[in-house]
Amino acid sequence: MSVPRGAVHAKWIVGRVIGTKMQKTAKVRVTRLVLDPYLLKFFNKRKTYFAHDPLQQCVVGDIVLLKALPERRSKHVKHELAEIVFKVGKVIDPITGRPCAGTRFLENLSDSENLTEADTTYLSEKLQELKVCSTDK
Amino acid sequence: MPMKGRFPIRRTLQYLSQGDVVFKSSVKVMTVNYNTAGQLSEGARKFVFFNIPQIQYKNPWVQIMLFKNMTPSPFLRFYLDNGEQVLVDVEDKTNKEITEHIKKILGKSKETLEKEERERKKLSHPATFGPKRYHLRECMCEIEGQVPCPAFVPLPKEMRGKYKAAMKTE
Repeated sequence: MSVPRGAVHAKWIVGRVIGTKMQKTAKVRVTRLVLDPYLLKFFNKRKTYFAHDPLQQCVVGDIVLLKALPERRSKHVKHELAEIVFKVGKVIDPITGRPCAGTRFLENLSDSENLTEADTTYLSEKLQELKVCSTDK
Repeated sequence: MPMKGRFPIRRTLQYLSQGDVVFKSSVKVMTVNYNTAGQLSEGARKFVFFNIPQIQYKNPWVQIMLFKNMTPSPFLRFYLDNGEQVLVDVEDKTNKEITEHIKKILGKSKETLEKEERERKKLSHPATFGPKRYHLRECMCEIEGQVPCPAFVPLPKEMRGKYKAAMKTE
């Protein structure tokens, strides 16, 4: 009987990186929705998986996609990093392809191109006032 | 005493089993990104509130993850077994449209579901008696028109074992 992939039940999982202190290994927390039998409501149940990350490119807080390895790499590591879905701080909106944060896009934030001459002189005056002189005693 | 919560009907087995989206076996993970404010995400919010419990109930082995306020546009993402990813843009769609769309692209068709139902029925024989878990009925006494259960209605004298034995010894 052949076991093509996965000595483990979960072939593809999406989780959040919670630790990268191990060398080339990322600790990933995976949440699934589990039905409470009495309340009949779904709650998140967490489970931690260890994933092999050869380039150590994961940072704590990334959302990653893990793929099951064909055989166990070590006692606890049964998955490897397939791709980083959302990098923390550098989320790219997949529909438009632009970097974003929360509900707004990060491109075209600074409008320094649209400032007029009067604005730049006013701002530079204000900056002069704010300058701290160490000689004043 | 009414049920607790905003729409407690979502927490009934009848509502959960009414969900008709059964994913194909190649769908492993479903990710929903939506926003908590804004008119464009309204359909996605309703989808998460009303339809996600139904989908998870029907597909207990699909991992569903919800992300709030990560990107300006709401979308669904499915990760299939062969490594393929399906991106569904749900901006400005109602929750009914979203469920119809995913049922069309990644759901099992009605014929497949009926065929599976028939296969499951074939395994169990309806004419046998036994524990409720494996058979329809436990004893012949449950059927109308048959001899009622002697636990509730005593058997007539002629059917009782002690009478028959007494007749035989005579």
